[in-house]
Amino acid sequence: MPRDPASLVIDRPEDFRVHSDAYTSPEIFELEMRRIFERSWVYVAHESQLASAGDFVTTRIGTQPVIVSRGRDGGIHVLLNRCRHRASIVCRLPEGRSQQFVCPYHSWTYGLDGALLNVAQKEGYGDMDRGPLALQHASAVGTYRGLVFARLSGDGETLDERLRHVRDYVDLWVERSPAARIRVTRAAHRLTYAGNWKFQMENGVDGYHGNYVHSSFIRIADRAGERKASAFAAVRETGGTIGLPRGDGLIERPHGGMAGQFDYAHPGHADYHAALDAAYGPERRQDILAQRNILIFPNLFLFESHLRVIQPVSVSETIVTMLPTILDGVRDEMNAARLRSHERFFGPAGFGTPDDVEMFVNCENGMRARGVEWVRLHRGLHRERSGA
Amino acid sequence: MTALDRAAVEAFLFREARLLDEGQFDEWLALFTPDCRYWLPIVQEGGDLEPSIIDDDRVRLEERIFRLQETRAYAQEPPSRTQHNISNVEVTEAGAAAVRVLCNLTLFEVRIGDASQLDLGRPQVLAGRCEYLLVAAPETRIALKKVLLLTRDLPLGNLSFII
Repeated sequence: MPRDPASLVIDRPEDFRVHSDAYTSPEIFELEMRRIFERSWVYVAHESQLASAGDFVTTRIGTQPVIVSRGRDGGIHVLLNRCRHRASIVCRLPEGRSQQFVCPYHSWTYGLDGALLNVAQKEGYGDMDRGPLALQHASAVGTYRGLVFARLSGDGETLDERLRHVRDYVDLWVERSPAARIRVTRAAHRLTYAGNWKFQMENGVDGYHGNYVHSSFIRIADRAGERKASAFAAVRETGGTIGLPRGDGLIERPHGGMAGQFDYAHPGHADYHAALDAAYGPERRQDILAQRNILIFPNLFLFESHLRVIQPVSVSETIVTMLPTILDGVRDEMNAARLRSHERFFGPAGFGTPDDVEMFVNCENGMRARGVEWVRLHRGLHRERSGA
Repeated sequence: MTALDRAAVEAFLFREARLLDEGQFDEWLALFTPDCRYWLPIVQEGGDLEPSIIDDDRVRLEERIFRLQETRAYAQEPPSRTQHNISNVEVTEAGAAAVRVLCNLTLFEVRIGDASQLDLGRPQVLAGRCEYLLVAAPETRIALKKVLLLTRDLPLGNLSFII
């Protein structure tokens, strides 16, 4: 019998605990998919992946397969990737450019907006009205600063309302580009792990695992003469973790220094600093160059080197996609250096990510032990500050 | 220095594989030139502005070995056991100074531990198309080791061992 979701969390002044069922119960996972992923605004694509009419990517909203396409009118469509005939997946490619989507089974042809344009051998369908047989589309699609979100079902707030508490941080993220424009690379780092999706989500806003889990990277940076191990420990005392409404949040280090970050403040990037000053002013530049891992609940992280999408597959299987970013208005050499820095820490062969993933699987394993049921997330509660 | 023939190239590649499988990482590193590149691309035509799974110059390759040998790399605790199998060796360009080689890599990897724990005791198989540039310097050395994994743009598991 699945636990009532309300009983999964103990939330008291200095005691915050989550029941293991939240991470291990298939029934809770199904509720998360239906009530959170399928009813909330969820990140689906970046505008730079849909630059021209006909461009598309396929992805998932929770476990639901969708096509995200740029229509001929320039609008973005988010369509359930399921033929209205016999339920075949219509588009099996991860990305591409097309003027229509043709189901391979019986050749039902859909437009970029999902409209059913034609069916083969139509005389066999009698009087079938194609109008209501468009690919099911998301109930809402919206874009903010290049990030495309969709809400699969239901009515609800606008994207503007949804993002109102986190929007300023998204602006700062985009303004790493002096032209306030970011694109993502074609290639991505993709990994999968045998564990719940929330392990990755919670790790991204966990500011106190780095000195331990990433001790190997800290020693590598020390050995290379880049940053002393003691300096990494000192960073732990700066900035903090900020919780926002709606499940959003971020780790913020005003002066950078977290393991794996590109050194934007290096004097060798003086032309970049000058470009930021010209675009936004020197004070804003300081704010822009703070290091942040920004979570837009439930599935999107904005890191300085990449955007990260968490895809739940089942209660104990997750796919993580890291899409490195290219900053517009920045020299190619600097973007290339950012990519090399990203490769060093992130991805399945990086010097950082695999150790994080090891912790996720450790927790997945540990939660199978019975008799101890609660996960403790109370660290910092005693010194938490509220308000702006 | 005579150009390497196919038999000599194979012998070299088999030895490289054995060094990795025996965990002789310092000896393996010594096979690479100072200006080497160890490269696992994702897209074939990307240039500098596309990410790779691995794009190590000599410095970063040394960091990779340092991480395995001298640090607490939790993704390698317990460590991987590997078997690198080299086949389909073709010498595509042969000169006195350098040789270009194509071959296939089939790599079995498993982490030995409590097999009831996820991710331990589960062998993974990786297949890749390799391109090597071997130089005679005066002994045979690797200037380029490029591995195009079959699964390079699919979700991958733990790749913290040496491919």
